[in-house]
Parts: sequence; C-alpha cells; structure tokens
Amino acid sequence: MTRARLLVGLTAATCAGVLAACGTLPPRPDPVPTSLDAVQRRDEAPSSAGALSPDGFDAAQRMAVRIRNVGCGSLSTGSGFAIDDHTLVTNRHVVADSAALEISTYDGRDVRAQTASTAALADLAFVRTVDPLPAYGGLAPLDPVPGASVTVVGYPRGSRLTMTTGSVIGATTDPLHENLGEVLVTDAQVDLGSSGSPVLDAEGRVVGVVYAKGQDGASFVVPVSTLRAMLDDETQVSAAPTCGD
Amino acid sequence: MLATLLVVVLLVAGPLVAYLWRTTDEWRASSEDWEDLARGTAVELERTQGDLAAAQRTLDDTRDQLATAQERITELADEKAQLGDDSAAQQQLADYQARVSQAAGKVATALATCIAGQSQLIGYMDDADSYEPDVLARFREDVDALCGQATEANEQLQHELEP
Repeated sequence: MTRARLLVGLTAATCAGVLAACGTLPPRPDPVPTSLDAVQRRDEAPSSAGALSPDGFDAAQRMAVRIRNVGCGSLSTGSGFAIDDHTLVTNRHVVADSAALEISTYDGRDVRAQTASTAALADLAFVRTVDPLPAYGGLAPLDPVPGASVTVVGYPRGSRLTMTTGSVIGATTDPLHENLGEVLVTDAQVDLGSSGSPVLDAEGRVVGVVYAKGQDGASFVVPVSTLRAMLDDETQVSAAPTCGD
Repeated sequence: MLATLLVVVLLVAGPLVAYLWRTTDEWRASSEDWEDLARGTAVELERTQGDLAAAQRTLDDTRDQLATAQERITELADEKAQLGDDSAAQQQLADYQARVSQAAGKVATALATCIAGQSQLIGYMDDADSYEPDVLARFREDVDALCGQATEANEQLQHELEP
C-alpha cells in the first residue's frame, strides 16, 4: 500500500513537472521577412539656405556690381552693391561728374541706371536702376568691432570680380576728410576700382563700404552706421553732379 | 500498477516531446531563412555601395564642371567689361577727334576769310585815293572782325587740344 502511494506520488510529481515545464517551452519562430526594411532617415536635401544661387554663385558675388563712369572726356570704374531690387550703394566719387553710368553684374549682364544721388557728409552714393538686380544683401545692425573678420567683394582695377578677406584694425578719423565722423580701417587688400565694394561680416551682412586705400595696404571703410544714417535721412542726399553741370 | 503509471507519464510527455521536435525544426528553418536573407542583403549592400561611389564620382565631376563654368562666366563677364571700357574709351576718343576736327575746320575757314579780306584790303590800300576814307575804315573794321573770329576759333581749338 505504501509502495503504491509512492508510485502515485512520483507519477503525479512527474506530471506536475512536465506541466510546469510547458510554461517555459521555447516559442515557435516568427516568420522570416522577405526583405529588410530600410532604416528610415529624414532626407536632407540640398537647399539654397547657404545663399547659393542656381548657378552656384553665392550671394556676396551676386550682389556686387561693376560701375563704369563715362564722363566728359574721362572714364573710370568702381564697385557697388545692391541693397534692394533696384538700389545700389557705392561711393560718391565713383559716380561723380558722369555723363553716363554703366552697370554690369557678376555674370556680365548690363543693368540700366536711372538716377544717382550722393551724400554730402559721407563718401556714399545711391543709384536707382531700371532693371532689377540679381541679389541684394542685408545691412548689419552694428559696426564691426576691431579684430572682426571681413570680406571685400569688388572689381579692383576694373578687372574681374574678386573676393579678399581681412580683419578690422580699428577706427580713425577720415584721412581724406570726405566723411563726417570716424571710419573703419581694415587690412583687407583693395585697389583702385574697389571703391564702393561691400565689406561683409562672417554672416554675409554688410558692415561697411570701401572708399579708399591706405599707403600701407590698409583699406578705409565707411561704417554701416553711417550708411544707415544716410539711408534713414533723405535730406542728407541730393542728385549726383554730372559733368554737364 | 507501474505500467499504468508509465503509460500515464508517456501520455503526458509525448505531446511535449512532439512540440519540442517541431519547434526545433522550425527554428532550424528560420535560421536558414535568416542566413539567406543576410546573404541577399549583403549583396544588395555591396551593390548600393557601388552605386553610391558612382554617384559620388558623378557629383565630384559635376562640382568640377560647375567650378569651371563659374570661372568661365567670371572671365567672360570681365572680358565683356573690358571690351565695354575699350568701346567707351574709343567713343570718347572719336568724339574728341570730331570736336578737334570741327574746331580746326572753323579755324581754317575763318583764317581763309581773314586772309581774303586782308588781301582785298591791301588792294584797296594800294589804290586808296580811289576810295572814300570812311569806306576804307569800315572795310578795315570788317576785316578785323573776320580775323577776330579766326582768333576765337583758334582759341577754341587750343582749348580742345589741352590735355
């Protein structure tokens, strides 16, 4: 009797063990996919956020223009830059005493000039154009501090479009007495014909306008604060003198 | 009694053994399928890497071509600007030469008129008794005026010739 109970107990224990093991049985495998799903990644398509145009030129080059001053028996060239669709900024001495102003863009297109006006208290001029300009730049809110990196885009000696870099050395009174107040000095290389070139900061904003070249390779720049003052006060500008006046 | 118990145990364990057997076969098949999938994916990855390298080369070539095109555009813009400068300078030279020629022509005409008048005046003076003094004086004044115009024309020419 005792033996029979033992066997029944063993059998029950075995059955209980088997049933308990069912809870830990390995699952059956999931179906194998026919192909692996590609990892979904957000497409980072190239954009023009880097100020690149469809032709690959950047905004700094596209906003710069070449100005030919055809005078009465004289001919000179300078640089300038657009601040909106139909307005250029350059130097007063670039547009002064002209019979005609001939403007061309970075890609050789001609832009017809409509009117030119000059500032009395700074070597600055504004030219309105008949044709739209390819691109224009924004003005920086403040003048650059000494040591700030700058880029100059223009047409030195009336030759091809050129970009030079440098940094702001400091501020000084105008050695040419063409501007009221202080002007900036940079070590960016400029030459005759660079007058009117935009001086850009690292973000591509205009921080000044080149108007003269120093003896020691320095360049003199009308600060953007002066440019803003001239733009904000229309009484500061008047029609540019022509050689026929 | 023992046999009965064994039968009971076998009846309980049998399905378990069968499940384990079947599950093992399914896992083996699954493993082989995963291996095939991995091999296929590796082949596809290799092909994609090749496509990527080719696309990268195409992109590099395109960038080079863009840089070359930009350089050429800048050169052409410069050449056009230089031609424009030359054209404007030549136009100014042509205008200057036209003004000089016109001034020189005025000088020549005025001088010829002056000389003719003076020659005529000399002839009158040689036979002064035949003419009224007042008439001769007025004629002299007219000749002086003509020669004055020649002088003015010459001064205009000299002005044009100034550098």
